[in-house]
Amino acid sequence: MAAEEDDKGYRWETEYEKTWEELREDESGSLQASVDSILHRAKKRQLLERVTNVRLGMMRHLYLVIDTSSAMSDQDLKPWRLKASTKLLECFVEEYFDQNPISQLGLLFSQNKRAEKITELGGNPRRHISALQELPSRACEGEFSLQNSLDLALQHLRHMPSHASREVLIVMGSLTTCDPGDVRESIKAMSEANIRCSVIGLSAEVRVCKNLCQQTGGSYNVILDEAHFKDLLLSQVTPPPSSASTESSLIKMGFPHHSLASYKDDKEKPSMCMCHLDSQSSQGFSTSGYFCPQCKSKYCELPVECKACSLTLVSAPHLARSYHHLFPPEAYKEILTSDILIDGPICCYACHSEIVDPHVYVCDKCEQKFCLDCDLFTHETLHSCPGCASVRSLQNVQATASVN
Amino acid sequence: MADSNEKGSSSLLIIILDTNPVWWGRKKASDEQFSLSHCVDCISVLANSHLMLAHKNKLAVIAAHTDNSVFLYPQYPGKKAEAVKLPDDGQYEVFGQVEGQLRAQLKKLIMQDKEQIDEMYDVPEQPSDSLIAGAMAVALCYAHRLEKECPIGEALSTRLLVIKGSEDCPSQYMNFMNAVFTSQKQNIIIDACILDKDSGLLQQACDITGGMYLKIPQLQGLLQYLMWVFLPDPSTRTKMALPPRAQVDYRAACFCHRNLIDIGYVCSVCLSIYCTFSPICSTCQTTFKILGPQKLKRKKKS
Repeated sequence: MAAEEDDKGYRWETEYEKTWEELREDESGSLQASVDSILHRAKKRQLLERVTNVRLGMMRHLYLVIDTSSAMSDQDLKPWRLKASTKLLECFVEEYFDQNPISQLGLLFSQNKRAEKITELGGNPRRHISALQELPSRACEGEFSLQNSLDLALQHLRHMPSHASREVLIVMGSLTTCDPGDVRESIKAMSEANIRCSVIGLSAEVRVCKNLCQQTGGSYNVILDEAHFKDLLLSQVTPPPSSASTESSLIKMGFPHHSLASYKDDKEKPSMCMCHLDSQSSQGFSTSGYFCPQCKSKYCELPVECKACSLTLVSAPHLARSYHHLFPPEAYKEILTSDILIDGPICCYACHSEIVDPHVYVCDKCEQKFCLDCDLFTHETLHSCPGCASVRSLQNVQATASVN
Repeated sequence: MADSNEKGSSSLLIIILDTNPVWWGRKKASDEQFSLSHCVDCISVLANSHLMLAHKNKLAVIAAHTDNSVFLYPQYPGKKAEAVKLPDDGQYEVFGQVEGQLRAQLKKLIMQDKEQIDEMYDVPEQPSDSLIAGAMAVALCYAHRLEKECPIGEALSTRLLVIKGSEDCPSQYMNFMNAVFTSQKQNIIIDACILDKDSGLLQQACDITGGMYLKIPQLQGLLQYLMWVFLPDPSTRTKMALPPRAQVDYRAACFCHRNLIDIGYVCSVCLSIYCTFSPICSTCQTTFKILGPQKLKRKKKS
């Protein structure tokens, strides 16, 4: 099986590491400097790990499977596993829709040897978050079932269009799975349907999960602590490379006009929006809203799929929000401060402060110098280099780069 | 303004001034009595008033030039401040410093340009748009640092004010949007004060971040607009009668003809927008499966 090909052995099989020796006190007895350098190395690794020039699955359809079996009532994560997980997952859902505005998400849970759906695939973060908030009130009982969860996810994901990236993310606290049949059949079905499965384990590594992730191209991780859990979840936010068999296609989308309620325009009659049709309140009854360019049905928020004509409605900023995944800024080069031949202190181009670190980060393109904080900020949050954005000749380079 | 007086909160105002020489030159040449120095006067009054509102308030001024983004205030920490002559009439020193530095730095910027042009034999045509996105990115990094340096328990609320006369630069779209989304994430409001033609990009930026967008109807009254509309902080603005929000056009422009479209086709790989169906994406060279008509038929039936 594929597990044998895994060249990385287990941690306990590798050489003995004296992790505490890496921490060294400086003259004043502070550990800050060595902690900083460890953080900095971790960051560097992260930047290098990022693969560029890969086709990404931008339109994601992700089912989140949450284990609510008795194993989730353990108190190793405070206050208890399920509560801690849902809190982190709320944060994940928000981040997911922030970074993938035209993607969809659905929630499943598994307990008592069964898997059930909490929310349908949808693009509205609030609905998922309120469903997540109710989850901890449920009693954690019974066993987790991997096969049932996979089958349920497969049932729903199978009908998604072929250009979409289909994914399942399982948060699993249990060490066992109680399945009605052969779970390997389900794993095979998942990999045939081109569904990428990732698992985040809360207790220890389970072989069947590792198999599942390997065969479907997902990632398998077991958390160390709550902070690590959060990191693992957030690493699932960036769109994964799409598999070769994902078809590409042109998708018809509508860019609706937003019309504001204006008292001047008396001809405009207030109308009901399509998203609040079923609600009893008067919410959504106004003259303002987004009108589908094809059938003129009204919606109060975007992105949404038109209920009448099934046209995907988005606005230009929604698409723009995803562009940074496709055109990430290049990593800066690390240079020792002592190698720079400038009299006087070195100044960070972006944040306008003196660089006191032994390292300076230099952009290859615009040759401006940055401090570590700004390097992290520009690559993690801003996604564009302040230096390059301020130089006209590099604007054109970027524009052509996006055309090529 | 009551909020900023509260203990433990301060506000940072970052002014981005468009210093495009072409636009300002044209403005000067036209009949209107409006010049860069007049604008800088207004800005320094605004800056001083902001600093006066609360002792802890902070200020930064960045010039968005044709080919660079330069801090006008504060000065680079490394260089010793060129001794700005402080007035001895009892004025608060910082006010004098702000005004002196703004002028000195701006003068330096213009002289640099002049030197560059003098060195060249034939002067290429200067672009008539400024790189606002670069200045915004720099401003966000600066705000990020100040927020980090802020002592625990103190809140720093930041806003950006873009004062712009020249045209939008379409090649900056991606950088600009990145900056807008970052400020939305960091709770930084973007205000725009437009001196000339309406700017579609800044309209979107203000709408997304919840800032004010105002096209100045009369340039002579710039100071008054700055003081009434852009000086109050967001918490005060809700209590004021300010110009109503304009309608923002969120339609996308297709990559092939740059037309604004209502219904378009989006590449599933690179999210390029096209106004008609084409079998190959010109951005990422993907060939598409042709499924258009069949699928549509099925959809109509259902």
